[in-house]
Amino acid sequence: MKSSYLRAGAALACAVALSACGGSDGQLELGGTFQGVTKAGLVVTSSGQEKAITPPADGSGQGRWAFNNLISTDDRYNVELKSKPSNVKDCTIENPSGRAGYHVYTVYITCELNRHGLSGTVSNLKGNLVLVNGSDRVTVAAGATEFKMTDIAEDSPYGVTVLEQPAGQTCTVSNGSGTVGPAAITNVAVTCTP
Amino acid sequence: MKSSLIRPALALALAAGLAGCGGSDKAEFVVKGTITGIVYPGTVLTTNGMDLVVPPPARPGDTVSFAFPNKLEYGDVYDVRFKSEPDNQNCGTPPQTIANFNDTAGRLAEIAITFACAVDVYTIGGTVTGLTADGLVLANGSTGGVVGVAKPAAGVTTPNTYAFAGAVAYDQSYGVTVLTQPTGQVCTVANSTGVMKAANVTNINVTCVAAPS
Repeated sequence: MKSSYLRAGAALACAVALSACGGSDGQLELGGTFQGVTKAGLVVTSSGQEKAITPPADGSGQGRWAFNNLISTDDRYNVELKSKPSNVKDCTIENPSGRAGYHVYTVYITCELNRHGLSGTVSNLKGNLVLVNGSDRVTVAAGATEFKMTDIAEDSPYGVTVLEQPAGQTCTVSNGSGTVGPAAITNVAVTCTP
Repeated sequence: MKSSLIRPALALALAAGLAGCGGSDKAEFVVKGTITGIVYPGTVLTTNGMDLVVPPPARPGDTVSFAFPNKLEYGDVYDVRFKSEPDNQNCGTPPQTIANFNDTAGRLAEIAITFACAVDVYTIGGTVTGLTADGLVLANGSTGGVVGVAKPAAGVTTPNTYAFAGAVAYDQSYGVTVLTQPTGQVCTVANSTGVMKAANVTNINVTCVAAPS
């Protein structure tokens, strides 16, 4: 009698233990990192799952992502690009496929943003002028009539300001601030006092 | 006869084997490793009573190698610390790696410590005065992020303060402009542009007035 209870108990314990291991609801995360995502529109898929990756609020364009549903040990996965944001050239996926042994944190998505020029005109400049667009710093030499900053990513803001005025002159910037669209910005105008 | 030959041969083999383990040639370990990201001078590492000055690489940020002059013996514990970090930088174990600056010589065949240094970052911000409408958005160039400033609650007259979420590294330039003006107002930015020194910037003050009709 005693042993038959034991057997049944053991069988039950085994069944519970086994069911915990498999089943449709997995326990492993499938994801990785992303960069170059500054706009909504990036969607990836794997085994019928879909994940829309939203751009981070800090404007860095990078972060971590994971599918909402967990996968199971030994599940095969193959992460594919379904759609990309409108402001990128292309997105590449590193380590897209494999077989889950543990949490998968190594699916790296890199999107290459479209870049556009940021330039304008300078009038009456008699000394050296230093312009910045945030962390981008450009020295404009005396006598120059135009300037060019480093290209900027599509849909990002820009703001051109004067870091160093030329000796004896004061220069002001007009049309210095905005958001770059699908074309280059060429209308920034720097005017210096006589 | 046969067995009497085998025994001395075995004893000899054992002795040879033991000699191979220890003897006069002590195992010695060089405390060494690499540091990434050094831009400025000032790095001094220290461990086991030794100090080591690590000069910055020719090209800022390149990986530099270091090796302490005196070797350690098997079983010695080393604990390599920054006695002094490079100027305007902070250093530590690289993100997402396991710290390996404190261990016992001989646990691994070779000591290979990894450190990473980053330039110190500071925040930029200031006050907003006269804001009576919503919609003000400030930007710090194309990569410094944006910050939206809401109008103060009714009855609040004190200038509100704002700061950008994105930090600015030492010696990096910043330039704050108005990306979007609040409805019916025009805001101007004072002290908008500069090069980051070793402190948070809090004087990028914004003043808003009614837009000319």
